[in-house]
Amino acid sequence: MPEALQNPIVLWFVLSVALAGLAYAFLRRELLVKGTLYGSFLLACLVAAWPPYETPDQPGKIRLGLDLRGGIHLVLQVVTDDALNATIDDAVQTTRDQAGRKGIAFASCQRIDATSFSLEGVEPARVKDGRDLLRDYFRAEWEIREPSEGRFLVKMTDPFVRIVKDRTVKEAIKTLERRVNQLGVAEPVIAEHGSAGDQILVQLPGVTDVEQAKRVIKTTAQLALKLVEDQAPSREALLQSFQGKLPDNMEVVQGAGDTPGQPVFYLVRREAVITGRDLKNARAGVDQNNQPDVQFTLNPQGAEKFKRETGRNIGRRLAIILDGSVASAPTIQSQISHDGVITGRFTVQEADELSKVLRAGALPATLRYLQELTVGASLGKDSIRSGVLASSAAMAFITIFMLVYYRLSGLNAVVALAANLLILLGAMAYSGATLTLPGIAGIILTIGVGVDTNVLVFERIREELRHGKTVRAAITNGFERVWITILDTHATALIAAAFLFQFGTGPIKGFAVTLVWGLVANIFASYFVSQFLFEWVLGKRHVDSLSI
Amino acid sequence: MEILKNPNFDFLGKTRYFVAASLAIILGGFLLMSRSGGVRYGVEFSGGTQLVVKFQQAPAVDLIRTAVEAQSQGAVIQTYDDPKKNQVLIRLGETGEGELTQTADRVLASLRTAYAQNPVVESSSEIVGPIVGAELRRKAVQLTVLGLLFQLVYIAIRFKGAIWGAAATVAVFHDVLVTFAFLAFFKYEITLNVIAALLTLVGYSVNDTIVIFDRARENLRQKRKDPLTKILNDSLNQTLTRTIISNGTTFLSVLGLYLFGGEVLRSFGFTMVVGILVGTYSTIYIASPIVIWWGGYRKKTPGGTGAAAKAAL
Repeated sequence: MPEALQNPIVLWFVLSVALAGLAYAFLRRELLVKGTLYGSFLLACLVAAWPPYETPDQPGKIRLGLDLRGGIHLVLQVVTDDALNATIDDAVQTTRDQAGRKGIAFASCQRIDATSFSLEGVEPARVKDGRDLLRDYFRAEWEIREPSEGRFLVKMTDPFVRIVKDRTVKEAIKTLERRVNQLGVAEPVIAEHGSAGDQILVQLPGVTDVEQAKRVIKTTAQLALKLVEDQAPSREALLQSFQGKLPDNMEVVQGAGDTPGQPVFYLVRREAVITGRDLKNARAGVDQNNQPDVQFTLNPQGAEKFKRETGRNIGRRLAIILDGSVASAPTIQSQISHDGVITGRFTVQEADELSKVLRAGALPATLRYLQELTVGASLGKDSIRSGVLASSAAMAFITIFMLVYYRLSGLNAVVALAANLLILLGAMAYSGATLTLPGIAGIILTIGVGVDTNVLVFERIREELRHGKTVRAAITNGFERVWITILDTHATALIAAAFLFQFGTGPIKGFAVTLVWGLVANIFASYFVSQFLFEWVLGKRHVDSLSI
Repeated sequence: MEILKNPNFDFLGKTRYFVAASLAIILGGFLLMSRSGGVRYGVEFSGGTQLVVKFQQAPAVDLIRTAVEAQSQGAVIQTYDDPKKNQVLIRLGETGEGELTQTADRVLASLRTAYAQNPVVESSSEIVGPIVGAELRRKAVQLTVLGLLFQLVYIAIRFKGAIWGAAATVAVFHDVLVTFAFLAFFKYEITLNVIAALLTLVGYSVNDTIVIFDRARENLRQKRKDPLTKILNDSLNQTLTRTIISNGTTFLSVLGLYLFGGEVLRSFGFTMVVGILVGTYSTIYIASPIVIWWGGYRKKTPGGTGAAAKAAL
């Protein structure tokens, strides 16, 4: 059985169509067939959309947008240069290591920009070896140039740059998904966004603690444990013993000191003992002084490395670096293999959030906010209330007007209008479209267009009656003559809706979606259902006058 | 019940005054916009920070101002929506250096501490970076122009005679410009919602023109001897009831939206309210005169006769 048929609503509808077809084949009663078809379709819409609202017992069938439910909408830019820089840094490190291993002397090897590095002043006798080494390690994805003897420029090719960028964004999305799962948000959206290819859209409906969510999303959570060589109150003081020039295998990292406002600088080994990738798990806990801390467990590879390095460096200090700053720098007391503790001046909440982001993994690059939209839950409720008020007011007014002005035919229009709204809601619920605040405006406009259709038809019928046509002929002519005009009305509005749809996500798309469904529903309801109602009421009786 | 029995108004007798009035409004709108430094964009287009903060009790705007000013200069602070809801809208002057949401976060934090006895219940924010704002602005212009263009293509296909299409087109542009003038006069910002309303009302306006022109062409076929002005005037009268009721009901629905739809939808409601009025007006006083003038012009050109002019329509 096709998948769509397994949906009870679809199945039921298909069965009704089949039954109606049979009825027509045997009974030849067109009206009965039409009535059954229309009725079962409307019933299907009712079932699909009921209950539209959230009730205490069950969730509503219509999905509400962020602007109505409250929540967060973020557009983040992945600073892909971070990942490129890291790639080049890795390449520089590899080149240095390999040249050292092969005993090739060189003057310098350093990064030029985000996508290239240079190897300069290779000793004349070994230039060929240097060339071979680079060719060996940097193959198809790289471009090696040799502007002068002993000087090499190595650059990432454009396709490789694209691959790295793409991978970074995908990795960032995966990490964000894991983090959002930790927050326990229902129906989150995390997806690539925009045309530039480096933007991520994050939508978290119903989130109340906006700040916590933002912190959990935003923290890069790059953890690295590095051996401390020295510590001083300033950068300059650290570099004094090296004549002011930082050695290649070291770096300076800042950390908060014991007294606030007086940072401490650490000289650490560039190479990390372990990084966030070596973690298996992390959880918030408390230390012996009842201070919140984060305890972590390493995976087998990490544990092996950690065991080796801690065993070799007992008595030395290990800096725990989180997002480029030293959280703490405890002394290695004994050999450690699996477990470790990150202490720092954490609050309970900070420790909890840190353990969450460590569990979810580090982001491969920094994220930058491009857009933030948050809607408080009560503001969303206010919006729903005003939306419902405005639509009810429109609906009530139109009902009264149509009944007074067109009398019984007005009732026909009101029934058609109700059918219109029912189909609109059913389609929204069934297709999983999101109802936004402008979407409610779209519903109100649909009511307007629906009435417009009825008025066009009714006015034409009146005119035909004035020209002395019989009731039956007037109705037939009335519907036929305005068909083209009704198509025009809907076509022009559909063109507008199609362009609004292009605005992509967000409230305006919701407007376009309701408008499109509303227009489609309206052609069915205000034209075909209304026509059916006339035919049905008139039946086979002889009528002299029409209540219009 | 009927509003009008066989209406016979002379709509097209004094069109030049109405055309002049339309031009004056459009010109006034342009002057107003250029004097106040161009179009006023909403946060989503201009980039920037807008916060809506809900307090437990009625907030004192002065106190809020001091707290906000300490963090960010040149903020606009005003009551938002119904005063009973204790909500304040804060639009920050500059986004500031560094992280996009930094200033907003600081402002919110300082409001919490400075206003401890009247706590912040809830807040909403709209913070848009310059990149996203510019992108959206570009997209909005692109889509609006393309949307208009497609409507025009539809009109051209719909009316095979070029002049009917041209007249409907001019009317549509007229509607957009006049609505812009009204938005400028009533100091509305151009937001995404306004753009959505503008595109929708273009559809409405085209549709309104189509209904009346359809009738005019039908009459033109049946009563070839009548002068063009009379044919158009008759068509306007014949469709008048429909125009009043249809546009009236739609007008009242969007008026409901404007009055009860809440703060967020107010600009949308306003644009639609103005747009529907202007769209109805422009069919009568912009689109129809153009067709008549064109017909008159064809009559005066050498070799042209009244019948030939009408046949060309």
